[in-house]
Amino acid sequence: MIDLQGYGPRLIEGAGVTVQLAVLSLILAIILGLLTASAKMSRNWFLRRTATVYTTLIRGVPDLVLMMLLFFGGQIGVNAISDMLYYSYDIDLYINFNAFAAGVLTIGFIFGAYMGETFRGAFMAVDNGQIEAGKAYGMSSSLVFRRIRFPQMMRHALPGLSNNWMVLLKTTALVSVIGLTDMVRVAAEASRATHEPFTFLLPVAVAYLLIASVSEWIFARLQKHYDIGFGGQ
Amino acid sequence: MAATPTPLEVRNIKKRFGDTEVLKGLSLQAQKGDVITLIGASGSGKSTFLRCMNLLEQPDDGDLIVHGEPVRFKTTKHGREPEDWKQVVQMRAKLSMVFQSFNLWAHMTLLENIIEAPIHVLKKPKKEALEHAHALLDRVGLTARANAYPAQMSGGQQQRGAIARALAMDPEVMLFDEPTSALDPELVGDVLKVMHGLAEEGRTMVVVTHEMGFARDVSSQVIYLHQGLVEEAGPPDQVLGNPQSPRLQQFLAPKY
Repeated sequence: MIDLQGYGPRLIEGAGVTVQLAVLSLILAIILGLLTASAKMSRNWFLRRTATVYTTLIRGVPDLVLMMLLFFGGQIGVNAISDMLYYSYDIDLYINFNAFAAGVLTIGFIFGAYMGETFRGAFMAVDNGQIEAGKAYGMSSSLVFRRIRFPQMMRHALPGLSNNWMVLLKTTALVSVIGLTDMVRVAAEASRATHEPFTFLLPVAVAYLLIASVSEWIFARLQKHYDIGFGGQ
Repeated sequence: MAATPTPLEVRNIKKRFGDTEVLKGLSLQAQKGDVITLIGASGSGKSTFLRCMNLLEQPDDGDLIVHGEPVRFKTTKHGREPEDWKQVVQMRAKLSMVFQSFNLWAHMTLLENIIEAPIHVLKKPKKEALEHAHALLDRVGLTARANAYPAQMSGGQQQRGAIARALAMDPEVMLFDEPTSALDPELVGDVLKVMHGLAEEGRTMVVVTHEMGFARDVSSQVIYLHQGLVEEAGPPDQVLGNPQSPRLQQFLAPKY
């Protein structure tokens, strides 16, 4: 058995941070992705434009740069608001821009752009006749979305979504630069202190693999669920 | 004033796609129990006309009155649009449509397809919707396929299923958009038989079709469209039995 030299509990804690960060970012990314896809397919010029700027910007700038921009920029923004509140309304509300929240916001924001493209393609793959049938039977657009477009879109979106998730999971390793103690950071610290990098990095690699395998299994189940009715089962 | 309002009335519907005016002012009135068939060559505008009746296409001009209630329109920079989409949603729930390519929802079983709109649009209790659905499945001869997905059924079965879905809404008027055109010839008969039955029990129907036999047997009125205008209209004996215009005569002549 590998001797983790007392770092075991911290590594496990770090793994918890990684998983929480990844799952919360994924939820935010999916919400942003759906909004972006809708905006891109909207007939409103301003919405389309905004969504395009968002995806172009995000996909063209390195994740690490964006993360630092948002974290430091976020702190400056929060400080400015607190100052304003203090001087104008005498409200004393100084807060630290939370690193975990910054991590979730940045990763969610970055992957929302990728999800947006995934969802847009998936929505366009839904047969228009299916949507027309919904309209013709008196469904409101929100009902058509909930009962027809979303469930039929998902089977097209899942392959891309699962791919994005795997990349997102590994992107969480970047959060150590903004001071979050995920499992990579713990492993790096331990490696430096003990001069035994493999002792710590190998378990971390295995942990990522484990999370990835579990996710693959979940995505396969989801794919099966959303493929029902489309033959091939 | 009549005791019951006219189920469906459209007046002077006009529609253009880009530079092409496809509907040049079409009107139609469906009284209770009427079966109106729309015939014409492809490109004559008959499907577009039908799709304007439940606003799957937005007419550029003209009136649409469902069960005595006129649909209100407004003009925006995108063209003419309904003023109140809630009104449109309510109006559509009174007009069931049967599509050429069936359009049963692929991710639901046949039974789920039939109870979907009654439960979510008409807010019927599930038990009641299910009872009605089973009765309708029996009627179209698909009881055994209740739990099949559309992809597992033949075209004829899908279309009969789609008719059951339409009937589940207890519609004021049923709109049929070339319901047999996508079917293999040997499957057409079963679908027409179901439609015959509906006509006989007094359903109000507007049917776009190429089935002249069906038009002759069950229509109360046949409308022949040519390039977005009514060329001839009247009872089937007159329009199909004794066509006046050379174009209609040619349209009705045996092709081979």
